[in-house]
Amino acid sequence: MVFAQTGLEIAKMVDERPTPKDMFSKTKMILTNSKGQSRTNVMISKSMDGNKKQIIWFLEPKDDKGVSFLKIEHSDQDDEMRMWLPAFKKIRRISSKRRGDSFMSSDLSYEDLSSRDLTKNEYSRIDDEMIDGKDCYVLKVIPKKEAKSSYSKHLSWIEKSSLMAVKEESYDKRGELKKNKAYTYKKLKEYFVMERIFVEDIQKNHTTEVTFLDLQVDTGIDYNLFHEKNLKRIPKM
Amino acid sequence: MTKIKSKFSQNPIRSWCIHQSLDYPWRTIIISLLVTLLVGSGVKFFLIDDDMMKILPKNLESRISWEAIQDEFGSTEVIFIAFGNEGESIFNPEAIATLWDLTEALETGKQIEELNSIATATRMDNLDGFMEVDDLQPERNLSQEEINDLKEYLDKNTVVKKRFVSEDDQYFLITVQPYNSEGLNLFRDELVAIADPILAGYEVHYGGQAYVTGTMPAMIRDDVQDLMKVGILIMVMVLLLNLRSVPGVAMVFMVIGLSLFAMIGAMGWIYQLTGSDRFLFTLANTSMPIILLTIANSDGVHVVSKFFRELRVKHEVRLALGSTMDSLLVPIFLTSVTTIAAFATMTLSPLEPLFGYGITIGIGIAWAWFLSSLMLPAVISLKKWNLKSKAITELSIFEKVINKLGKIVLTHPKYVFSAGAIIVLIGLFGISKVVVDVNMSKFFKPGTEIRDTMDFMDEKMAGTVDIRVRVMGDMKNPQTLSSMRTLQKKMEENEKVTTSFSIANVVEQMHRTVMDDNPKYETIPDNREKVNNLFTVYSMSGDLDDFSSIVDYDYKTGLITAFSKVMSTDEIFAYVEKMNGHVKTTMDRNLIVDFTGMIVILRDLVIMIVRSSAISIIFSLIVIGIIASIFFKRILWGMLAVIPLTSAVIINFGFMGYFGIELSHITAILSSIIIGVGVDFAVHYIAQFRRLSRIIDANKLSREVVDDVGYPIILDAASNMGFGALLFSAFVPIQYIGGLTVFAMVSTSIGTLTVLSALAELLKQRLIERNV
Repeated sequence: MVFAQTGLEIAKMVDERPTPKDMFSKTKMILTNSKGQSRTNVMISKSMDGNKKQIIWFLEPKDDKGVSFLKIEHSDQDDEMRMWLPAFKKIRRISSKRRGDSFMSSDLSYEDLSSRDLTKNEYSRIDDEMIDGKDCYVLKVIPKKEAKSSYSKHLSWIEKSSLMAVKEESYDKRGELKKNKAYTYKKLKEYFVMERIFVEDIQKNHTTEVTFLDLQVDTGIDYNLFHEKNLKRIPKM
Repeated sequence: MTKIKSKFSQNPIRSWCIHQSLDYPWRTIIISLLVTLLVGSGVKFFLIDDDMMKILPKNLESRISWEAIQDEFGSTEVIFIAFGNEGESIFNPEAIATLWDLTEALETGKQIEELNSIATATRMDNLDGFMEVDDLQPERNLSQEEINDLKEYLDKNTVVKKRFVSEDDQYFLITVQPYNSEGLNLFRDELVAIADPILAGYEVHYGGQAYVTGTMPAMIRDDVQDLMKVGILIMVMVLLLNLRSVPGVAMVFMVIGLSLFAMIGAMGWIYQLTGSDRFLFTLANTSMPIILLTIANSDGVHVVSKFFRELRVKHEVRLALGSTMDSLLVPIFLTSVTTIAAFATMTLSPLEPLFGYGITIGIGIAWAWFLSSLMLPAVISLKKWNLKSKAITELSIFEKVINKLGKIVLTHPKYVFSAGAIIVLIGLFGISKVVVDVNMSKFFKPGTEIRDTMDFMDEKMAGTVDIRVRVMGDMKNPQTLSSMRTLQKKMEENEKVTTSFSIANVVEQMHRTVMDDNPKYETIPDNREKVNNLFTVYSMSGDLDDFSSIVDYDYKTGLITAFSKVMSTDEIFAYVEKMNGHVKTTMDRNLIVDFTGMIVILRDLVIMIVRSSAISIIFSLIVIGIIASIFFKRILWGMLAVIPLTSAVIINFGFMGYFGIELSHITAILSSIIIGVGVDFAVHYIAQFRRLSRIIDANKLSREVVDDVGYPIILDAASNMGFGALLFSAFVPIQYIGGLTVFAMVSTSIGTLTVLSALAELLKQRLIERNV
């Protein structure tokens, strides 16, 4: 007898899939509001430990050039987030209490950008589906109270061969659909890495498109890079 | 069959008309009814639109600015809801929970785009060196400690507090913004339906220009409809008392009812066929049924009363009817043509609904003329009249009064004319005292719900009048932001302006927060990069969309919103002029600054209505004078025809000036009413004077004319006293309309029977000579 995998087992498989030791990318983020007006941010991002450590330097728009951001996730304490304000010549800590807050006014919240803790969510499997020709597991993810999530549940479509999410629906605390997310990935060395994320906030009628350009993995990023002293200078590309 | 043609009229057209009514009464009645039904069937397309914004011309400058603001920032026409209890602090857990529930419920409203209250607002705090943007009310139930912290934050940030809490901490305020500023009546209705059940147990006040604008038209219409029922009852009683004939009164009302039905139907058909908003029934059209009622009543009363007088002499229905119509067809036609022409001048008005008004009322008047000229005599001819009844055999009360009046006036024509001229002169001086004012709080009597709410908002909250200033320039430029703050401070110098808010305030608050909450830094930063960094920091913890109602997406246009207590039109004028002066002399010339807001638009609207009314009166006088001159074949008659009308206009508006009755977009309607009724009496008098001058001795002429037309004129005026019922309206301008309409009736009727008759008597040798 073959027993089908449970939701938690699938989630574990996703969590344990091989990921780069570090990653570098030039990221373009386009925000579009309900009136069709857009803003474009371009930034350089370096991360390691599965994005648990990340440092970002903003390049565009011109007004934001020089602003930079450092995030260090902790499992046993609040995440650290800091921002360098070049005009004020000050480093300011950003509150991490409200994980539901959006990042740079995008449709991606800090929670969306953080990895999900397996122990703080309940996973159940529902019927598999085909999405754009890809055979997918479909998981229902319900955050537990300790996750302090701003969502009541997610439905995630995980492509079976790559164990990469291709689509996710996120529901707010009232149980109403809040966001549709679509992911595109590619193979780089032996890893599957995210190439594009498209998020649509259904309730605000707002979209965010994030494209990862010039992706490089396992380049040997120094652990010590993730320190606030490195926020003040944009690295050479 | 009596040959009516040869006996009663030399004129072939008059003969034909009389012939149709008397010899083919059923055919005439059936055709009239069928056509009325056909035209009246348009009633199903008839649409009442209480949206005041549709009255405004699209090219009005303040409207253009206002619409640009609506496009960019969403509707600025908000409704305020204040709730609490007198004597109790609102900062308690139950009230906080109610606020949460109300906000959640309102968010489901289809008409509602955005809400601003403590439950939706954010707070910026400096915590251990970082800017934390958080919800002002993070959840429904807060402990008293959390509430105290909230209160402390608000006390520290008074600009924010004024938007959400009363000065005495007893009421919460919610600002509700609709999706768009059209259909404010629907917005208002939805909001009240949602809020009332949740706020049971609290004192609730609704306010804001949008609330008043959304409530007023239906309120006025309902009030006028109720009072007019009483008015019509009075009308029926006066007519019955004098005509002493129920069928006679019924026939007068038949003409009124059918012409009203046809007019409304015509409006519906035209709207259906053209789709033009000009043919919507708006607040500006409220006087239409009133005017048509007076005109149709006048036509009917003239015919019925004249018929009874003729029947008294001729003792035979067909003969009496024939001579009645022979003498009245022309004056009824003429009064209709002159009134239609007078109202046609409204098509020149820049106000959209007045175009439709002019056309539609013309159709109504034309149909009333048709009915009273053809159908009414046909109906009269079919009735079996009791020749021995009091209605026919005895003089009525008014007939006896007229007899006496004629004696007095025509014995001393010079004195009567001089007295009239003096009264008119006094009225002329009074006109200079007329004040134009759209102070909406004065529209409602103290003690009425809307007035009490407006007074409450003025006393306890930030006021309900909003003034918006659109500033176009770089919103991240410190010079621009500083200019805006300076302008705000200048605006707040006026004691009625309670608070103002803009993106400049937000930048100041962010600056202070980032600089370790040091009050010294509650200023605009000294360079653009710092301003930009502040917005970037905010976006890491909050949402830049929070500012969408005060700055546009590209940071090229900002909106200053100021709230004030109710201001009169003069005060608004003076205030906006002063602020424009400040802008010209002090602010950067590269900035484009526009003042707008509902109150500014209403000011412009009133000016337009008043100007339209004045132009309409002047044009009407000219048109009436020309038509009368042509029909009566003398310019002198044309001039005499407009004397009672002109006198009535001067005396009525002079009366307003002396008694402090403000001219607003409601009382300006009065000019239409005067035009509608004022010309009728004079035309009937002149027509009868000309007709009798051919067959009666000059010495008895004026007496005969007064005896002949005086009775229907007085009866017509007296029956229209029913408008006095409007004096009991809860709406002050409607009270004025009631009182002033009564005054207009009295002044035009008395004016015709005294001043015009005295003048005609004095000039009769010239007038009669030419007619021989």
